[in-house]
Amino acid sequence: MTLLRKRQLWVYLVLILGSLLVVYPFIFMILNSFKIGTEILNYPTRLPRHWSLNGYHRVFEQLDLGNMFKNTIIIAVSVTALNVVLSSMVAYALSKLNFPGKGLLFQVIIGSMMIPGVLLMIPAYSMYYQWGWINTYTVMIIPAALSAYNIFLIRQFMTAIPNDFLEASRLDGCTEIQTFLRIVLPMSLPVLSTVAILTFMGSWNDLAGPLLYLQDREMYTLQLGLYTIKSEIPGQNLDQLWAALTMTTLPVVVVFFFLQRYFVNAFTGVGLK
Amino acid sequence: MNPQKRREAMTGYLFSLPWVVFFLVFLTYPLLLAFKMSFQNISVTQANKAEFVGFGNWVAVVQDSLFWKATFNVVYNQAIFIAVVFVVSLGLALLLKEITKGGALIRTMYFLPVITSVAVSIIVFNMLSGPSGPIQQILISLGILDKGVDWAFSKWWAMPVLALFNSWKWFAIQMIIFLGGLLSINPELYEAAEVDGASWWNRFCNVTLPMLKPQIVFVTTMNIINGMQMFSEVFMMFNLEGGPYHSGLTPVLYLYKKGFNEMNMGYASTVGIFLMLIIVFLTTVQWKLFNRKETN
Repeated sequence: MTLLRKRQLWVYLVLILGSLLVVYPFIFMILNSFKIGTEILNYPTRLPRHWSLNGYHRVFEQLDLGNMFKNTIIIAVSVTALNVVLSSMVAYALSKLNFPGKGLLFQVIIGSMMIPGVLLMIPAYSMYYQWGWINTYTVMIIPAALSAYNIFLIRQFMTAIPNDFLEASRLDGCTEIQTFLRIVLPMSLPVLSTVAILTFMGSWNDLAGPLLYLQDREMYTLQLGLYTIKSEIPGQNLDQLWAALTMTTLPVVVVFFFLQRYFVNAFTGVGLK
Repeated sequence: MNPQKRREAMTGYLFSLPWVVFFLVFLTYPLLLAFKMSFQNISVTQANKAEFVGFGNWVAVVQDSLFWKATFNVVYNQAIFIAVVFVVSLGLALLLKEITKGGALIRTMYFLPVITSVAVSIIVFNMLSGPSGPIQQILISLGILDKGVDWAFSKWWAMPVLALFNSWKWFAIQMIIFLGGLLSINPELYEAAEVDGASWWNRFCNVTLPMLKPQIVFVTTMNIINGMQMFSEVFMMFNLEGGPYHSGLTPVLYLYKKGFNEMNMGYASTVGIFLMLIIVFLTTVQWKLFNRKETN
């Protein structure tokens, strides 16, 4: 018994030590955001001597952070909403409806997951350029509105819903679309939240997309803004930089803490299927 | 076809339509365009002045030492990353399996780097690991380093340091996949092994590892595919040129530079096609290796 307890104690010790190592950079970031620039540069690891909100004030004065927040939210919310709606429609057709060509459709979806996105970077850019999509919300939203991975995830879940529920609904005189909206979608909420969280975070944190397609300052997202703050005035604007880092990270962290169960679940079964 | 079946089929086609349109417009068309552009000398702004050059771009990429240098860089980086993250995530998953309370909270902490953007985490990491940052201060006080070093600007250290950064950022996903695998192993297998007098190490090698094979194949394949496409990290850390001696250059960064900085989109497309071929090759080899083990 004591041997077992001692063993548990060691296990906890290692796990907690590990979590401190993982969390330390975040504490470091938050503490530095309350310092003034010279203190960040000279004493990055100390507690702030005077807790200053200087960085937060200046970041709002000098940068269009509000606008960047607005752009990021518009893009991330639209991409997430479209993905949830469109992917669950396709997933429903694949898991619950019978029609000629369904098998082929599924094969194509699985196969398309193997195409590396970077190969399409160049041709897609020239395509959007000709369509006049560069520097618009459209280019960030429409090509990201659907993903094979999301379809696959939702389909796996929907396949497990017993067909009896659908039969009952059809006997009650519901159309296919009504059955989808009233029976299958509400039952799929766990997987839909998972897909929503993953998509939202992917979109919020994306740097390569905005870097390619958004050149106008008015259109900048938070991540692109951070990149430019970092590269524009090195060393001069540390207060703003650390305040901006903290402000762009905290919303996602807060959302994550409330919904982490769904997020972690998304990965649990992934290797098995 | 009876009315019910016809109605079902019609709904099926209606609901699949978004994917079909998406697949044709945003995947198939650009894929074909990529092949077409690889035979052309073409720039973004003057697409109508494209000039056919046959296999010129293909030959040039094969002979391009910078492209192969970039490919070597990712392989160097991923070899370290895959090894480190395998040990760390499997070790932590084994430990998490042992505890009954507080597991959820610890897992949540471990996921924080995953949800943080590359832009934020690279800036924080650079500060932490920079010459005056706490990591090097500790190494100096332990006598491992003489003085602060700018890792991002050294020829051989840039990629290993980036691999360590990536391990910190991504181990949690792999850990949770391993944990899911570990929890699905039948406990009777361990009991049987214990009755036979197998040591912890024997049980690990003969029960845990073989039973985790699906997860191991999955994460290694994902690591290879994702590693080959590394871009944001190196762009944030080393800028367009990939740092001194191009030690942080990756194929995608190179593709980006050729296409959007030098406006040579035909060449950049060819780099993309080579990259795809390399990914397909590596994934196939990896699948073959794992399948052969099973038949033995």
